[in-house]
Amino acid sequence: MAALVRISSLCHRGVSPLLFRPSSLIRPLAVQQKDHDCSYLISARIHATPSNYAGSGSKAATMHWTGERILSIALLSLAPVAYFCPSPAVDYSLAAALTLHGHWGLGQVVTDYVHGDAKIKMANAGLFVLSTVTFAGLCYFNYHDVGICKAVALLWSK
Amino acid sequence: MALLLRTVARQGLYSSRSQFGVLYRHAVPMGTTSNEEMDKFWAKNTRLNRPMSPHMTIYKWSVPMAMSISHRGTGIALSSGISAFALAALVLPESYPYYLDLIHSLTFGPQFLAFSKFALAFPVVYHTYNGIRHLAWDAGKGFKIPEVYRSGYVVLGLTVLTSIGLAAM
Repeated sequence: MAALVRISSLCHRGVSPLLFRPSSLIRPLAVQQKDHDCSYLISARIHATPSNYAGSGSKAATMHWTGERILSIALLSLAPVAYFCPSPAVDYSLAAALTLHGHWGLGQVVTDYVHGDAKIKMANAGLFVLSTVTFAGLCYFNYHDVGICKAVALLWSK
Repeated sequence: MALLLRTVARQGLYSSRSQFGVLYRHAVPMGTTSNEEMDKFWAKNTRLNRPMSPHMTIYKWSVPMAMSISHRGTGIALSSGISAFALAALVLPESYPYYLDLIHSLTFGPQFLAFSKFALAFPVVYHTYNGIRHLAWDAGKGFKIPEVYRSGYVVLGLTVLTSIGLAAM
C-alpha cells in the first residue's frame, strides 16, 4: 500500500510510467542491488577518514560558514543603529564585529593564497596577532577617546 | 586430521585476509587527507615548473569577475584601514579630535574634503552592497548569468549614488 502511494506520488510528479510495474518484479532486483551496495559500503567505510573526525570537521566548517553570515547580517544592522542611536554599547559591538569580520575575511584570503604548512601557520599566527591588536586598539579608542560612532560623526562634520 | 584442520583453517584465514587485502589496497591512496593531496599537487607543480593555475592573464575580464576581486580588495583595504586606525589609537599620544583639527587646519579646499569623503565612503558602501549581493547568493538566489550581471549593475549604480550622497553630507 505504501509502495503504491509512493509510486502514485512519483507519477503525479511526472516520472515516466515505466515505474508502473508489479512490485514482485522490482523486489528481486532491489535486493540484488542492496547486496551489491552493501559490499561497496563496507569498503567505503574503511576508506573514509575516521567518521568522528570528518563529522566534527565538516560540522565545524558549516557552523563557521553560518557564523560568518550571521555576523555579516549583524554588522549590516549595526550601521543604522550606530547612525540613529550611537552609544558605548554600539561602539564596543562595532569594535568586536568589525574585528571578527575582518579576521574571518582575511582568514579566507590566507586559505586561498598561502600554501605550505609552515607559511600557513605563520600567516595565521600573524593574523591572530593583528586582529588582537586591532580589537585592543578599538576598545582603547572607545574607552579613552571619543568612540567609533562619534569619531565617524566628527570626521563627517568637518 | 590435525594437519587437514590446520590447512583448512589457514586457507580460510588466507582467503579472508586476501579479501580484506582488496579493501586495504583501496584504502591506502584514500588514507591521505585533502591537505596532503593539495601539498603534493603544489609540490609537483613547482617541480615541473608549470604555469600557475588559474592563469591570471588568459581570461577576458567581465564585470562580475572584476566585482568579485574588488569585493576582496575593498575588504582587505578596509580591514587594513581599521587595523591602522586601531594601532594609531594605541600608539599616538594625543586624542582623536586633536589630530582631526590638525588635518582640518591644513585648509584643504572644500572640493578636496568632499573628494576625501567620497574616497572613504566608496569602498565601505561598495563592500556593503556587494556583501548583500553575496548574502542573496548564499540564500540560493540570483545565480542565473543575466541576474548576476543585473545585480552587479544595481550594486555599482547604488554604490556611486550613495557614495556621492555621503560625500555631500
